[in-house]
This record gives sequence, structure tokens and C-alpha cells, in this order.
Amino acid sequence: MKCVAVTPEKKVVERETKFVVVPLYDGEYAIGVGHTPVVGRLGAGELRLTLEDDSVERWYVEGGFVEAANDVVSLLTTRACKFSELDLNEAKQALNDALERPATSPELREIKTKAVATARARVRAAEKAARR
Amino acid sequence: MELVATAQFRRAMERAIAAGSYSERVVRLVADLARAGGDVSHPLLDKRESSKKAVLLILTANRGMCGGYNGGVLRTAVARFEELKRTFENVELYVVGKRGFSYLTYRNYKVARSFFEFDDKPAFAEVDAIASELLERYQTGEIDRLDVVYSKFYSISKQRPTAETLLPLAALAAEAVADEGAEEASSAGNLQFEFLPSPRSVLEEIVPTAFKVEAFKCFLDAAVGEQIARMVAMKAATENADEMISSLTTTYNRARQGQITNEILEVVGGANALS
Repeated sequence: MKCVAVTPEKKVVERETKFVVVPLYDGEYAIGVGHTPVVGRLGAGELRLTLEDDSVERWYVEGGFVEAANDVVSLLTTRACKFSELDLNEAKQALNDALERPATSPELREIKTKAVATARARVRAAEKAARR
Repeated sequence: MELVATAQFRRAMERAIAAGSYSERVVRLVADLARAGGDVSHPLLDKRESSKKAVLLILTANRGMCGGYNGGVLRTAVARFEELKRTFENVELYVVGKRGFSYLTYRNYKVARSFFEFDDKPAFAEVDAIASELLERYQTGEIDRLDVVYSKFYSISKQRPTAETLLPLAALAAEAVADEGAEEASSAGNLQFEFLPSPRSVLEEIVPTAFKVEAFKCFLDAAVGEQIARMVAMKAATENADEMISSLTTTYNRARQGQITNEILEVVGGANALS
């Protein structure tokens, strides 16, 4: 099963995998060989790839979509990086910035909620990466 | 300089192709959605009734030496600006690139925001910051329309200064419908997708993404166009210089030969007079 993750800038990941776990907007979703065609909305979080040799690769992705069909899992995301490349301080700063945003109208509140959720997920992922 | 521009053009081109494939995938997803969920409607796709404020984003280069590139974009930009001013009470100018900024301020246009940090490789994160800000202002109803003027890339030998409307994103729905028709004809991709959590929710996410990618593509096209323009301009400059060198060399040689002939004549004349 092939797993491809692309950002608007480049193709970040292209691997042969046995099993893929993607972070959907409301929790993790696992895709194995022969999965039914599916399109899902991604949240921010950890993308886990179990490779052919049973080793596990971890990536961080932020928003976008996953499409699985014909044993190809493709992720369209705005940001993708190796788990180990996450910077905890930067993530915390992003969370603070998100928390300081105004929420004076329903639209602004919605934008803020989304920004905060994304930033929290990044902090969580960065903390997890730092513990490893 | 021609060689430098050629190298930079190659790099910019690769990035533009990567972004192109990304946005193609997005359009295909929207087409899948249209097939599964029926109508494709989203606040960002609908035309606004009110016409209070519009933003015109102009993408120019930071540096010159690229022939008519900046001039072409700015002429189109000024025409679009005047056109927008007829329908909107207030039109803000967002200018990318020092060339555009100095041109417009010199002509007393009020520039609301200017950005000089983009060079031959615009990063998505940088474009995303501007795009998100504009998207937010559009969503909160502060602006009613966003137009962009840039040099659109058709092929290596053809780029044109173009004015396009980015918000509302009417183009996305149209492309998706066209794409859907094409796919049905080819009978490929007849998969029925399951949408998580729902087609509606996926669409809510996909439209802002499509907008950002579209904006990013404009920046990349502009970068590619700038490098091509510079390449062509510098090639012409090198050729002109070569031509000038050869004509000046001829003139110099002729003058030198003339002087030598003169001297010989004087020597021969002197010798004749003595004998």
C-alpha cells in the first residue's frame, strides 16, 4: 500500500506501507490494505506509517484531507514535517498567539477556536516528540 | 545574469509544477464531492450583494532588469483598480514587490500594505499568512471582494499580466463541474467515496484550502514569470552588447588603420622630398 503526503510546495512523503494511521479532525483513523474508498477531513496531529519492515515512521501533519482508494493513501495538507523537527517553543508561542486572538463575533470566534485547536495539537505533538 | 536567471527559473518552475498538482487534486476532490453530495455551495463561493470594500493584490518583482515584466503587470493593475473603484466605495491596495510599491506611491496611489520579503522562491507559509489574513477579513464581511493582478504562466514562451478574482472563489465550482464532466466521459475514477464526517464538512475545509493554494499559485506564477522575463531581457542585453562590441571593434580598427596609412604616407612623402 502506498502512502503519499503532499503540501503545496512539494511531495513530503512517499512510502510503501503496511498500515497507516491518520489524524482526522475528531480522532485517529487507521487505514489498512484493501480499505474502502474514503475521503476524510484531517485535523492536526501525528501521522503514523508502519513500513514494510514493521518499523514505524512518525510525521506531523496540519489540516487538509486524506483520500484512500485502490490501496493508495494520499494526504493533502498545508504543513507536514518529521516528528523530530517539531519545535516545542515555537508551538507554544503559536498557541499563545492563537489564544490572544479576538473573538468578538461568531465568525471570529470560529476562526479562533480552530486556530487554538490546531496550536494545541501542535504543542501536544511537540511534547510527545520531546519525550521520545 | 542570464545564467543566474535560468537557474532560478528552473527552481521556480519545479515549485510551480508541484503546486499545480496539489491544486489539481483539490479540484478533483471537489468534483468527487459534487458527485457524492449534489450541490457545491459555500459562503466563499457565493457572490456578495454588498459592495463596500475590495482589496486588490498586486504581485510585482523586487528588482528590475526584467524587461516589460513590472510595467505590464502594473498597467493591468491600474486598469483593474479604476474598474473596481467604479463598483466599490473603497478599494485597498496590497502590493508585493518594491517595483510596484515605488511605481504606485510615485503616482500617489494609497498603498494599504506592502510586502518585500518574496523573492524567487515564495514559501507557502509566507503566502499563507497573507492569504489567511485576507480570508479572515472576507469571512467577517470586512471586505467583499479580492482581486489579484499577476503575470500568469501559460507556457515558457507565453506569460500574460492577468487580473483575476480570488474571492469569491467562483472559479473552483466551475472547474469542478468541468472536471466532473471530463471524468465521467473517461469512465475512470468511478469510485464511490465515503466522506468523513460528511461531504458538507469536507467542503467547509476544502474551500479555504483551495483559496490559499490558488493564491500560492499566483505567487509562484509571478516568480516564474519574473525569471523568464529576466532571462529574456538579459539574453537580449548580452546579444546587444556583443553586437556593439563587434561594431565598435570595426570602427576602432578602421581608425587605427587610417592613422597607420597616414603615417606611412608622411614617411614616404618625407623620403621622396629628401631624394
